Amino acid sequence: MREVITMWKYTRMVVLVALTAALYAAVLIPFKLLPLIPGITELRPANVLPVICSLMFGPAAAWGSAFGNLIGDLLGGTSGLGSYFGMLGNFWYGYFPYRAWRTLSSSDPIPWSAGRLARYFIVSLLASLACAVQISWGLDMLGFVPFHILGPLIGLNNFVTASLLGPLLLPILYPRIKRWGLLYTDVMETEDLWGGRLPYLAHLFLWGAVLGGLILGIVISLGVTESQTFTLNLPGGAHWSLSLSDIPRWGTSVGTSLMPLIGLLVVGALLL
Amino acid sequence: MFLYLPYNTFLHRLHPATKLIGLILLLVVTVAFTTPAEQLPGLGFVLGLAVLSRSLSNLRRILPLVVTIMLFSSTTWSLFRRVGVPFWSFGPLSLSRESIQYGLAMGIRLDAMLLSGMVFVSCTKVEEFAFGLRALGLPFPVSFALSLAFRLVPLFFTRIGIVVQAQQSRGLDLQTGHLLQRARKYVPLLVPIFIYAIRDTDLLAMALESKGFGMRGTRTEYLRFPFGWRDAAIIAALLAADVIAWSGR
Repeated sequence: MREVITMWKYTRMVVLVALTAALYAAVLIPFKLLPLIPGITELRPANVLPVICSLMFGPAAAWGSAFGNLIGDLLGGTSGLGSYFGMLGNFWYGYFPYRAWRTLSSSDPIPWSAGRLARYFIVSLLASLACAVQISWGLDMLGFVPFHILGPLIGLNNFVTASLLGPLLLPILYPRIKRWGLLYTDVMETEDLWGGRLPYLAHLFLWGAVLGGLILGIVISLGVTESQTFTLNLPGGAHWSLSLSDIPRWGTSVGTSLMPLIGLLVVGALLL
Repeated sequence: MFLYLPYNTFLHRLHPATKLIGLILLLVVTVAFTTPAEQLPGLGFVLGLAVLSRSLSNLRRILPLVVTIMLFSSTTWSLFRRVGVPFWSFGPLSLSRESIQYGLAMGIRLDAMLLSGMVFVSCTKVEEFAFGLRALGLPFPVSFALSLAFRLVPLFFTRIGIVVQAQQSRGLDLQTGHLLQRARKYVPLLVPIFIYAIRDTDLLAMALESKGFGMRGTRTEYLRFPFGWRDAAIIAALLAADVIAWSGR
């Protein structure tokens, strides 16, 4: 994660942060008129930008997505305490694609082949779910919208947009950006780029955090933990049952229960 | 485009860092309460600030959004929050007196936060916002990138308009079809819009470096905002309100 700090000494990276943020906000704001949840989220075709910018501009896109979302909220009249969770969620949304891509492939992220397209979908899904879990956890904790409504909606909104538009835009934009020498690997010195510590363990942590967070968040938010029991019939007539209320949790709310998984997400991001 | 209203009110004259800290402290107070009776004074206080900062015209602009948010938030929380003895239930949905009260409180909380943010942007310029962030310790390049992004948004809107007009002059029809069909026609425009936005990166970076961006040492500021006793008093009062609200939970 070191390069999200070291990038600030490169003027071109600072400019790329501003350009990504402004572009993201400029495409987000007009679509505030098509809300999915009023004041919280809307139809967002702009959601493709953090993913494709991440694969090209690296850490600049992570900051750009975070700032762009904040600016979109401030200028679109939907700012509040939730905007800070939106900022954090969008930071992950712009951070994970390029980091995860580097551990999955050494080739350029142009989804020409089936293998690269599959990898593109994997990194988009990871980033989309991380963003969804982070924002929904925060907004449920603040009492804005229940997790089970917001979580799947943000995850789906992000992933569908990035999956549909990304493979169309990247093959056109990536070669041009590469020719202009604006890829983050060209702008930044090698010693300022972070190779990652235990990246495969980080993937395990991240997928555990986002999938576990999403499922547990929905289950708790729907209030089914108190009543549901799973029973497994074992050979010899024995059976083993698990009540969802037996699952160790820090508390009864989404906010406290998901905290360990949010911690795991941060640890995964640090190790990736 | 920008929501700033150029008046010279008490709130406009506050130090930018006071406005930023004050906004966060105000938002934190609203999180402490979970009943409509507790939330309403907070909403009233925010409306009072709107009157004081003469930003009611901006609040009127988002009134339909405020009402919709209130209805949506109140309904969803009332139906999904499981507190008290339900008098109606259907699957995961239920309604009780306590859940309705909670739903209403959450609707008021969300509106209070939204209106607080609107009051803030109505009385704070972009350069004041960046100055406030720097005063709170944010490194210069970060606050600069944020303020530059703010300034570029209207420019990008203009550029998007130019690209759309250029494509329309070549025969692109954006007027016919239903909403989704029209939205789909905008997708190919993302490529020229993106290229248009990014191609100036090098020029902008060179212009900044030629003006000393990235130089080390203490920076001097053209803008100056004195931090007065009023700023200290406001922060102290809001901090006290936070402590009282959270200790009384």
